[in-house]
Amino acid sequence: MSVSSRRKITQILGAELDKLITLPLIWFTIMGTFIINLVLTRAFTSAGLQGAAGTQSILNIGLASMGYLQAGFIILGILATCSEYTGGQIRTTLTTIPWRGFQLSAKHLALAIITIPVAFIIAASGVLYAFIMMRDTAVVIEIDIMIKTIAGATGYLTLTTLLSAAIGALLRRTTPALVVLLGYYFIVSPLLRDFLPSSKNYFPDTAGSYMYMPPSSDEINVLTPMQGTGISMLWTLIFITVAIVFYRKRDA
Amino acid sequence: MRAFNAELSKLFSLPGMWLAFLIGAFAPAAIAALDSIAEKEEIIAGVSIRLSEVGYIGLGLGVQGIIILGVLAVSSEYLTESSESGGGNQITTSLTVVSSRFHFLLAKAGAVTVTSALLSIVAILATVSATNLILGEYAPAFEASRLIGVVCYWTFTALLAFGITVLTKNGMIPLTVLIINSSVVTVSYLLTKVTKLAFYLPDRAGTDMLMSGGFHTPFTGGLIMFAWVAVLFIIADIVFDRRDVAS
Repeated sequence: MSVSSRRKITQILGAELDKLITLPLIWFTIMGTFIINLVLTRAFTSAGLQGAAGTQSILNIGLASMGYLQAGFIILGILATCSEYTGGQIRTTLTTIPWRGFQLSAKHLALAIITIPVAFIIAASGVLYAFIMMRDTAVVIEIDIMIKTIAGATGYLTLTTLLSAAIGALLRRTTPALVVLLGYYFIVSPLLRDFLPSSKNYFPDTAGSYMYMPPSSDEINVLTPMQGTGISMLWTLIFITVAIVFYRKRDA
Repeated sequence: MRAFNAELSKLFSLPGMWLAFLIGAFAPAAIAALDSIAEKEEIIAGVSIRLSEVGYIGLGLGVQGIIILGVLAVSSEYLTESSESGGGNQITTSLTVVSSRFHFLLAKAGAVTVTSALLSIVAILATVSATNLILGEYAPAFEASRLIGVVCYWTFTALLAFGITVLTKNGMIPLTVLIINSSVVTVSYLLTKVTKLAFYLPDRAGTDMLMSGGFHTPFTGGLIMFAWVAVLFIIADIVFDRRDVAS
């Protein structure tokens, strides 16, 4: 029985989406991230309101929690790939879908389909909250800059999720993957920024952060948003490729 | 005592423990070494202002390893094995052997305490020697009281991670929360900007034991963190006593 390859890909994608949607932990993570983001934005907003009025931009405050927010998306990415390995689901998956490269690519694609709206809603909710709270005091922002920044934040969070999924597929276990990624994003990277100021712009998270950095005159933005996107995307693609290569070679 | 030995042997045979030991023992020394290199240039340039803090930054960040230790000690018990190998839970076996839940928890906490205290001493030795090696004659004298503070901070952090994981049963949440909260810019530091009460959070109070110029004196900081640990342990014990193992 031969199935046309186009139909095959659609079916694989459907199956991967189905698996992700029915994973309860994914929903807990998304809800938790949403709530924690609002709490953090509230803290940042009230800290901003106490500061000098009129100097803070809504976008800076609304997206100040991005640094913490990405943790939720890292978990999301790791969950998506590592859940296959707890309890041998992977063997069922590979029995039904023996094309490993397709399967893992479809998983990343399905993850991106879920992540993009979620990241958009979460990033926008933070900015919206800051907007409502600081309407009277803060500098007015044009709507197109705001949309551009939120889109950049969405893209950054999606790329981070995909990168985490690739690392999760490489390491196959939740705890080491979580420790490695959180350790990198929250410990190693801030330290590297101090010790290696010359090459800091080329790491996935610092390059990616230019995607949502609002254009301002006092900060020296070395990379344009497009360059940041390019470097960040390159990192993600490299990791996905490595993950796929290992996935194809390795005993499941 | 036998339960305690059993817990120690369980702890040391966990594969994730090696990661914890690796991070806990070497990361502080590596960070301190990098920091010392930067510091040395400042000393030579004559602009050094934070010589007494060298090394403690690494030790403050090195709790990562200890967090992994505390979390894994509990979450490994709840890990369900794959259906091909019986789908068992280690906790069922553990509680069959040690039927008193309070003793089980106490033995586990004891094992975590001893291991983390030992690990912190190893980390301190590595950090002090790394700093001395790089800074040479400029190396600051490490005061015993602050080093004891480091040991207390590490042990209490491990016990906090332990207590939270008993409540959540899943390793992911405590691991994420605690790792982020011990990172360079912590959530609780942010909260101190909003309210003074945040200085009483366990990690803020705890770091006062090793960093100078904090909100509390080192001793009260330690007491506050110990109070958190004790309260959390009591809550964890009550919850653990009343909970169905299988759920």
